[in-house]
Amino acid sequence: MPFISKIQRQSDYTLFGSATPIVIDNGASYFRIGWASETEPRVVFRNIVQRPRHKTTGETVTIVGDHDPALMKYFDCTRSGPRSAFDSNVVYQFEIMEYILDFAFDRMGATGSEIDHPVLITECVCNPVQSRSKMGELLFETYGVPSIAFGVDAAFSYKYNQQQGVCDKDGLAMCPGFTTTHVIPFVDGEPIYKGCCRTNIGGFHVTDYLKQLLSLKYPYHMSRFTWEKVEDLKMEHCYIALDYASEARLFQKGAKEAEDKTRCWQLPWVPPPTEEPPSEEEIARKAAIREKQGQRLREMAEAKRSSRINELENELHGLEFLLKQLEQVEDSDIPSFLAETGYVSRQEIESARTKVMQSLRKAKGEPKNDQSETEKASPNANEKYSLINIPDDMLTPDQLVEKKKQLSLKSMSDGRQRLKQKRYEEEMERERKQQLEEERRLENPELYLEQLRARYKDLSERVDQRKRLKTNGGHSNGNNLSGGIGRGERLNAAQRERMRLLTTAAFDRGKGEDTFGAKDEDWHLYKLMSKDNDDDDEGPDEDDVELARISSRLQDLDPTFVPKSEMGSSQPAEAPRVRPFTKEDFQIVFGVERFRCPEILFNPNWIAVDQVGLDEMVGVSIRRLSCKDQGLEERLTSSVLVTGGSSLFPGIVERLEAGIRMIRPCGSPIKIVRALDPVMDAWRGAAAFASAPQFHTQTFSRMDYFEKGEDWLRNYELRYSL
Amino acid sequence: MSMKDKMEAEVVEAELVLPSYLSFKRVQMYEKYPKGQARGRHWKHLKQIIQAENYQNYPPDEPNYVNIESPPSIHPCKRICDITGFEAPYYDPRTNLRYANADVFKVIRSLPNEYVQRYLALRNAAIVLK
Repeated sequence: MPFISKIQRQSDYTLFGSATPIVIDNGASYFRIGWASETEPRVVFRNIVQRPRHKTTGETVTIVGDHDPALMKYFDCTRSGPRSAFDSNVVYQFEIMEYILDFAFDRMGATGSEIDHPVLITECVCNPVQSRSKMGELLFETYGVPSIAFGVDAAFSYKYNQQQGVCDKDGLAMCPGFTTTHVIPFVDGEPIYKGCCRTNIGGFHVTDYLKQLLSLKYPYHMSRFTWEKVEDLKMEHCYIALDYASEARLFQKGAKEAEDKTRCWQLPWVPPPTEEPPSEEEIARKAAIREKQGQRLREMAEAKRSSRINELENELHGLEFLLKQLEQVEDSDIPSFLAETGYVSRQEIESARTKVMQSLRKAKGEPKNDQSETEKASPNANEKYSLINIPDDMLTPDQLVEKKKQLSLKSMSDGRQRLKQKRYEEEMERERKQQLEEERRLENPELYLEQLRARYKDLSERVDQRKRLKTNGGHSNGNNLSGGIGRGERLNAAQRERMRLLTTAAFDRGKGEDTFGAKDEDWHLYKLMSKDNDDDDEGPDEDDVELARISSRLQDLDPTFVPKSEMGSSQPAEAPRVRPFTKEDFQIVFGVERFRCPEILFNPNWIAVDQVGLDEMVGVSIRRLSCKDQGLEERLTSSVLVTGGSSLFPGIVERLEAGIRMIRPCGSPIKIVRALDPVMDAWRGAAAFASAPQFHTQTFSRMDYFEKGEDWLRNYELRYSL
Repeated sequence: MSMKDKMEAEVVEAELVLPSYLSFKRVQMYEKYPKGQARGRHWKHLKQIIQAENYQNYPPDEPNYVNIESPPSIHPCKRICDITGFEAPYYDPRTNLRYANADVFKVIRSLPNEYVQRYLALRNAAIVLK
């Protein structure tokens, strides 16, 4: 049930005589203004001012109160938020206050050259005289008000309820307001400020707490939690638990009762359009296009190849023809004949011919005949290495050289042979293993798959772990990738080692003088460093290979298997983003928040306000009163009135009763009542007060103010019982 | 009212914008704060106001804005889990957050630092860099 503003301009201002006082309840959240003789204020609006820029004219304008948000689209509010004239509950920015009063009197329909009505305006308990006198000055000087009276809103509310028979002449007024909470004792119908106490907590803090908690809980929907919306949510859903701890335990256990108490706000959500799988035709069409393109590419490559073969063949023919001609030419004419062709000798032509032949063979895709050459070589190996087995002393120097050559050739080919053999054996081993696995799989496919999966998980974790260690030296908080920068962040192992080496190098020899590099071994340092780095990237090791193998095997066998990608395995935070949003993602759930937020009225230290909460304030207030009168104390606690906007929370009366019972002597009478209308009663009380015939005895004029001075204003106090 | 002519009809209709001239005022806003004139801060913070009140010159039993403030509670502060609001028997020395159980512990350990600080800021325990 959000508060509703009334900002229609009134048309009957002139019907009220100049003796009719104007009554203003100047609350930190709402401003209410009306006529003393009435029971409802005429104009009510949020006590805020905005000074945005009009988008089309560029003019800075003043907008007071809350308006239809749809109209605010014409204004650029980015540079000025809503501003309040209040700090805590004291008016301190009188420029803003003036805008508010302008708007209020304007909407009251004020005409003429000044406001010719006495004004009763509310203020906080023990308002600093500076604020009070500034307010007086503003009303006297700018608006020409004939006389003013200041009163306390909570006191007016108490008096109004006393008149209605809700509470007695002795009692306590408890007023949890917007920014502050007061407890004011009343004795004989008059407030005793000596016994009053104030805790700087109120509805503002509750809303702010709820807003913060919700935006922390649902960071994705942060922009939804505007002040106005959260305020509405607070008024709709928040309640005060009789016993916070047991209520929270209910929710912790997930009891049925807690489920019933959980509220849910469904944000507008449109299911994303389901993507239709492409039709058969579409698939066929795409395949055809792909096929066509592939065909064209193949044709192009073929054409290119054939043209190259053609070219090479032509060249070969030319060279062969040249060689044939050369045979017919006489030896003496060779140089002159060759000069024309551009070649120097017969050998050159021949080598060019072999080259062209080789390229031709390559272009035609025939295998190189190296293989056949080696094959050819193997049978006559003995012949090839003929000199090896002959002792050195039986050989000529030429043969010795030849023998050395043969030896090295033989060792090389042997090595090649061995490598081949080894590769072949490995291949065999792998095949054998695969066969074994295949057998196991066939034996029990389920179990096999299960084992494979387990092994995959195990291995991938191990690989991940090592990767983390490498990049983040032993840091295992687990949130290193999701923004843990700055908390426990370390250099990787190599970087740390480099750091260590450099610092030791710097400190070892540091006797006031840098001698690094004077000795040759100083430079070994850098070798050490680069060695560290090499260690890090020595290529994929066994685990990686095994992981790849299992992964491919699983992909073959398990249709549901999705290998963890390089990024996926190290960034689990990425996962939820891939998931499409569901209706549940757009639900704001209020569970514990419903009673956690208003609970700060009873435990202000939860938001770092180190003062007593609502229930203890009663004890403080009675102690401060120090009346030493058992009867009076009992009368006070048997007429406790809760008023003010924050007393609307359901359950506050029961909770207060339980809380006060704890701090009062056993058996004391305790009666707590909520004001008839906790929000409006202060204004109504003030209006009733201002319409009393003796009201004029409580006001002061501009003349009084200037004659009596600030010290008198400091001690100015209204008498509430007329 | 040339300015009004330029504004959208519905804005004018709702009388959203406070007029700059009001007949019932002796001194208009534009006379008090002429446009285009630089002016310093013409108001005091609540702290400065209180300081200027010189409450120390008055008898201590006379109620004033400062001495009517409530004292700190004599009861020990109920500790609640910063995330869930449940009773919090544990405290994480790394993040300084209070937590209710192992599940919440997992959550707070996976929270980015920014969120940890915002949770701490709720009870004014965040690290403030100045």
